Amino acid sequence: MYLLENIGRLGVNSTKSVVDTFSFARKVIFRMFQPLTYNSAMRMVLVNQIYFTSVQILPVFLIVSIVLGSLLIGIVFQLLKQLGLTDYFGNVLMGLIVTELSPFFTVLFITLRSSSAINTEMAVMKVNGEIKTLETFRVDVINYLLIPRIINGIVSLVLLSSLFSIVLIISGMLFSWVIFGMSLDVYSNILLNSANFSDIVISLIKCAVFGFFITLIPIRYGLRASYEFTSIPIAVSGGMVSVFTAIIIIEVLSLVTKLF
Amino acid sequence: MSREFKVGLFIVSTTVIILGALLYLANEKGFFTKVYTFTLSSKSGDGLTEGMPVVFSGFNIGKVNALELNDKGIVLIKIKISERHVKWIKSDSSFILYRPLIGAARIDVVTNNLNSPPLPEDKIVVVETVNDINDAIKKVQPLLDKITQIAENMEHVSSNLADPKGDLNLILGNAQKITTTLSTKKSLLEMAIADEESVKSIHEALKKIKDIVTKIDKMADKTDAQLYGKEGTLPNINTILKDIAGKLQKLDTTVDNINKISKDTSEGMKDFRMLRSDIDDAVNAIDDVVKKLDTLISSKKDPEFKLP
Repeated sequence: MYLLENIGRLGVNSTKSVVDTFSFARKVIFRMFQPLTYNSAMRMVLVNQIYFTSVQILPVFLIVSIVLGSLLIGIVFQLLKQLGLTDYFGNVLMGLIVTELSPFFTVLFITLRSSSAINTEMAVMKVNGEIKTLETFRVDVINYLLIPRIINGIVSLVLLSSLFSIVLIISGMLFSWVIFGMSLDVYSNILLNSANFSDIVISLIKCAVFGFFITLIPIRYGLRASYEFTSIPIAVSGGMVSVFTAIIIIEVLSLVTKLF
Repeated sequence: MSREFKVGLFIVSTTVIILGALLYLANEKGFFTKVYTFTLSSKSGDGLTEGMPVVFSGFNIGKVNALELNDKGIVLIKIKISERHVKWIKSDSSFILYRPLIGAARIDVVTNNLNSPPLPEDKIVVVETVNDINDAIKKVQPLLDKITQIAENMEHVSSNLADPKGDLNLILGNAQKITTTLSTKKSLLEMAIADEESVKSIHEALKKIKDIVTKIDKMADKTDAQLYGKEGTLPNINTILKDIAGKLQKLDTTVDNINKISKDTSEGMKDFRMLRSDIDDAVNAIDDVVKKLDTLISSKKDPEFKLP
């Protein structure tokens, strides 16, 4: 009986949480398309957010991309050669590594670095009463705090994921030359034949959706913190678990979209 | 460098790279080129899918854009060919739906005469089908029949084996009887003859045969020594034969000499005839002289002659 009650409570809470999140997302999207949202204060916050999330980490991100991407490409190409699947290396490079692994790696990188920071920042602001103070001074919290962070998430994810893809393609060029002895012309032809425009568009949309949710969910969980300091870790851990769940759901949905 | 500048530079440069890559891809994929649509027909839509590549000489020149079913139940295949590849599609081009055993199906375009007029867009061409899968099935079918036959035989054998009155069980029963009998007998021979005395007699006979064979063996050894030993008969015969051969060689020389002598003799015989005739003449003369002398002697009182 208790077990059934617990399961029921869990189901109701999860559904309510999902519905609340989508309701909140709808409100945020609506604000994003209003010109009045983009005032000078918001723009300043947006620039700072993009700077902290993308520009500041760019050198580290590029180094990690080059190292990880080269290793990944090298291993995959070597494996394809051993299995005699050399003909499929273009499909593997474009269909799997560029359009799937690249957004996934980028979203993990940004989530671990920025989403956790946003979640904690929001929870601390709530506990310190900063949110209440802003509201007292009639500052629109959604416009001032939320929209810049969410737009930053979208922009950063799309741009960094694309950069990661470009690094992978350059690594692929190098490794295809070393492993398969392939010239640049042949490599670019194979890539062009394997590249599917719709897959790339889906991949970019997926990055935008990733960026939207990996900032929206931590903000929501941060704002749900109470006025006690002990609620901060609870809000952060809950937010991060939800972010990773959202990442998996979006990844699965994108794969399903590709299938059809 | 201000923070705003860095952010602006990052966004602009990355966006330019991404847009450049997308535009390049779109251009290469033919998004900005004019596309021609041709209609093909097929009795069946089996193996046809939207997005299927259209290939000319191994190169992708277009793809299947849409599949429709007309009022007569014929499948209409709309293919899109970009402007730069439309030159390969001629009025006498044939379109072959190729379904390989491994890999994706495709429509192969075969144009034998590139000087033929272009294919009008409103003309409907029938698609031929080459099906590796069906061909493979046709080839495999006899094999499958044989396998089915083998399986049936196996089933027959297994059912026979399962049947207590089946042939195999009878054979096994008999084999069991034989082994049981064999276990009580001392040998297979005893089991075959079923008489212990006879078996003993055979054993004794075999022993005797063995002794005889041993003796024959010894005799053969001795004979071998006598015949082929150092002092054996054959070496002596060989020596004699060699001696005879030497002597015969010498005899050949003697015979040659005799031949020479007989030749010489034959030639000498001619002289002999003449000599003989001379001797005969001399003897006759002497005879005449003797007759005359005798006549003289008999006619004279004093038979004394004064020789000249």
